[in-house]
Amino acid sequence: MNDITEDPRKVISNALVELGAKNKNVLYISCDSSLGASGGEFNKRFPQRHFEFGIAEQNAMGEAAGFAISGKTVFIAAYVPFITFRCFEQIRDDVCKTKVNVNIMGNNCGFSVSALGPTHVILEDVAILRSIPNITIISPGDGLEYYQAIFAAAEIEGPVYIRIHRQKVKRINAENYRMTIGKANILRSGRDVSIITCSSMVPKTLEAAQILAAKGIDAEAINMSTLKPVDREAILESSLKTGRVVTVEEHNIVNGLGAAVAEVLIKENPVKMKMIGIKDLFAVVGDYDEVIDYYGLTGPKIAAQVEEFLNQS
Amino acid sequence: MSKLSKDEIKVLINKSYKCRENILKMMRKGEGHIGGAFSSLDIMTLLYNKILKHDPGNPGWAERDRFILSAGHKCLALYAVLADQGYFSEDILWTYNSFNTRVPMHPDEKSLPGIEFPTGALGHGLAVANAMALTARLDRKNYRVFAILGDGECAEGSVWEAAMAASHHKIDNLTAIIDRNGLQVNGRTTDVMNTGPLEDKFRSFGWEVKTVNGHNFSQLYEVLSALPFSQGKPSCIVADTVKCKGLTFGEDKYEFHHWHCEADEVDNAISVVNSEKGKELSKVE
Repeated sequence: MNDITEDPRKVISNALVELGAKNKNVLYISCDSSLGASGGEFNKRFPQRHFEFGIAEQNAMGEAAGFAISGKTVFIAAYVPFITFRCFEQIRDDVCKTKVNVNIMGNNCGFSVSALGPTHVILEDVAILRSIPNITIISPGDGLEYYQAIFAAAEIEGPVYIRIHRQKVKRINAENYRMTIGKANILRSGRDVSIITCSSMVPKTLEAAQILAAKGIDAEAINMSTLKPVDREAILESSLKTGRVVTVEEHNIVNGLGAAVAEVLIKENPVKMKMIGIKDLFAVVGDYDEVIDYYGLTGPKIAAQVEEFLNQS
Repeated sequence: MSKLSKDEIKVLINKSYKCRENILKMMRKGEGHIGGAFSSLDIMTLLYNKILKHDPGNPGWAERDRFILSAGHKCLALYAVLADQGYFSEDILWTYNSFNTRVPMHPDEKSLPGIEFPTGALGHGLAVANAMALTARLDRKNYRVFAILGDGECAEGSVWEAAMAASHHKIDNLTAIIDRNGLQVNGRTTDVMNTGPLEDKFRSFGWEVKTVNGHNFSQLYEVLSALPFSQGKPSCIVADTVKCKGLTFGEDKYEFHHWHCEADEVDNAISVVNSEKGKELSKVE
């Protein structure tokens, strides 16, 4: 790890422009919320290939499907609730059933905009989307992953959901890192417990692993940046070694990363497991750091929960 | 003004009633959305025989006009018309509602040539049609896009999102045809949820609108030959139709939105529609 810190929205904006320059088939759809975030630069560079559909996400998602089935590679962005929940049936029927190249960018996932309250703080997006066939879900952990996720999504012949956090991200990977969709990345090797995480929780988990190491607990930290499909082999290999698994996610523990990992373990290596995340609640309002502290998602609090789990199991 | 000859009209009547007979044969499986299929059948018959630029031997032809059946439950009509056009063998029709059939109660683009997009959940088709029409503009192609919606379907908010987007983006290679049969699952549209006045609504959303008799081939041909109605605007045709048109004992009855029928009822129904065909043909003389 080095000290580079990046704004995911800026990284994605640059990636979209680069992709758009290389591939004339790439279109960008906005719903009155993303030009200031990831799509503004694309709009300036390629105005003919940018379509604004206003505050009407059901239509926008249907349009995305219509473009994609006509041969276009579509990126569509808005705040997570509006680009997932509001148009869920269009995502399922028009995008996933047809398996077209629509890449849904969910802006401000998790507690990104924690001051805006529960209508905008969405802790169930992975839960609803991972239950639809054909979709790939990516939750990048650093700037390199955000950048590569855009190019990877364009290459996948089918729908992709990319979760985009508003918090700036620290580099967790080396410059020559190449993300592979469906493959986890072991950031710290350990023998005593496997901690599997993604997105904003990756640096918190690494911090927790350091704290645990000082107490003689050797934790393995795994970045599961593809949430669907999860990396079955990585889960099995690590859990066979450590015998105990903890998942950490800035999401409801119902049908999120923890559930995806549990679905693998229960069938193939049923070890003791703990899910750290939001326990089926609507979010409290506050600053980002206050809120994640409240829900026990800081490095020290994750470390304490892992230690307690290891003592009990 | 483009006009059909009497002979052309007779051919269309014969085709649409042949399709009605085939649909009834499919209904031997015991159920189907016959009401909307029969109300929209004359429109689809005219589109595929006289208006759409298409090639049944090459369903993926890049220059083809696109047809989206937004009211996907009317697909019995589309299946019968596509089979008549030669997109696939009539034998496929007789597998209707069988296990893993290519002709289920809502159309599937992956299983059957000629189906552009899977529909069934109402209120989805117009947005897809918009984007297909915009793609023609992006790719500098001349194809047009046609979508059939139901008047009951127009209660879906997403229809109006798409209607707003079509005029905002000045999509004039797009035509929406509303099959206004006035009935939906639970009764009269005016009683369940009044979606009217549809002409005024579409006009106020920036569309150019014309109203026709949806069973009059001459009228349908005249308006569909005059597209777009206005440069820079999407075109809307509100077609007044009769639910279950041609099956007299089911006409204008909401109970025939989805008809559960016995085999002997189907045999009787076939003789009824053939008798109606004779009446329609005699009107042309």
